[in-house]
Amino acid sequence: MSAEMEDFLKDTVNPKDLEKFEKNYRRELEANNVSHSTQFEYAFCLVRSQYARDIQAGILLLEDLMTRHADGKRDYIYYLAIGNTRIKNYTDAAKYCKAFLQIEPNNTQVLGLETYIKKKVDQESMKGMAVAGGAALVIGGIVGLGIALAKNKKNNNQ
Amino acid sequence: MSSSTSHNYNFIFKFIIIGDMGVGKSCLLHQFTEKKFMANCPHTIGVEFGTRIVEVADKKVKLQIWDTAGQERFRAVTRSYYRGAAGTLMVYDTTRRSTFNHLSSWLTDTRNLTNPSTVIIMCGNKSDLETMREVTYDEAKQFADDNGLYFFETSAMSGQNVEEAFIETARIIYQNIQEGRLDLNASESGVQRRTNVLSGPINGKNTDMKENCQCIV
Repeated sequence: MSAEMEDFLKDTVNPKDLEKFEKNYRRELEANNVSHSTQFEYAFCLVRSQYARDIQAGILLLEDLMTRHADGKRDYIYYLAIGNTRIKNYTDAAKYCKAFLQIEPNNTQVLGLETYIKKKVDQESMKGMAVAGGAALVIGGIVGLGIALAKNKKNNNQ
Repeated sequence: MSSSTSHNYNFIFKFIIIGDMGVGKSCLLHQFTEKKFMANCPHTIGVEFGTRIVEVADKKVKLQIWDTAGQERFRAVTRSYYRGAAGTLMVYDTTRRSTFNHLSSWLTDTRNLTNPSTVIIMCGNKSDLETMREVTYDEAKQFADDNGLYFFETSAMSGQNVEEAFIETARIIYQNIQEGRLDLNASESGVQRRTNVLSGPINGKNTDMKENCQCIV
């Protein structure tokens, strides 16, 4: 299940597609008349980019859509969760999953993503603990060495 | 699933599932991957993804299945998933004639966006709802024959022909590879051959996709 989610999140947008939808968006932007569908299509490609800065740009576009097109919220929240997961911003990703599941508690797409996020957060906190544990060992080692040296000095002095 | 077992297959075939909203695309995927029927399935957002390893002619084949949203507003973006599909399941609902009438438009998209070797299977889903039927088997079969498509009537609810539709697609793709009709070196064949899979980890090191992957996740 989570290997599957990993494969899904690894899949990136084809640069040709990104370019095509970017052109549509820029054209409407110049005319000062961006439709929500054009903005969504561009954001959809951006959050599936291999580059974090694209994903972040996609997240901004989706956040903007949330405020101006209530009918599409279901889609926007889901892709905000996907985008944030892809840049490892698990706190926000989990927040969007939770918001979505309050409305549709049994949605398998979002439940799968939420499970994946929880697992990633657990893994990272384990890594964090391992790093902290490692640091404690090093400090412990230094202190221990200090004590040993001090003892040694004391012995030599005697 | 550990990474050593998850790579235990000889090929990856990319599949897509397309068709109108509400014809049961995601339910077919669920029936195939989970072997159960998902009642009250919500509309798919964008694309959903599922995998299953099947056996074709003694080879293990991992099917990577991209299940696209049927809602019109996703049509533009889901088209990008057609590229590089080795197999396409084009689904309509036997109880709604309009979904059958739209097949020519789905077929045009498929032909324009996939490569000529892509295997297209037409699925008339909801065959369990016999009393509500609006499209006869014969009429659909005629359409399939006229367009050179493989055809199954399926039921994601009872499971009828679901295995058959996916596995038959995989079998035809494999046959195309064997007979040289499908060039594995073509960038968008939708097929990846994996090496050293049966020998398992070599020198404690597994052939792992991640090693060559520059992805974010």
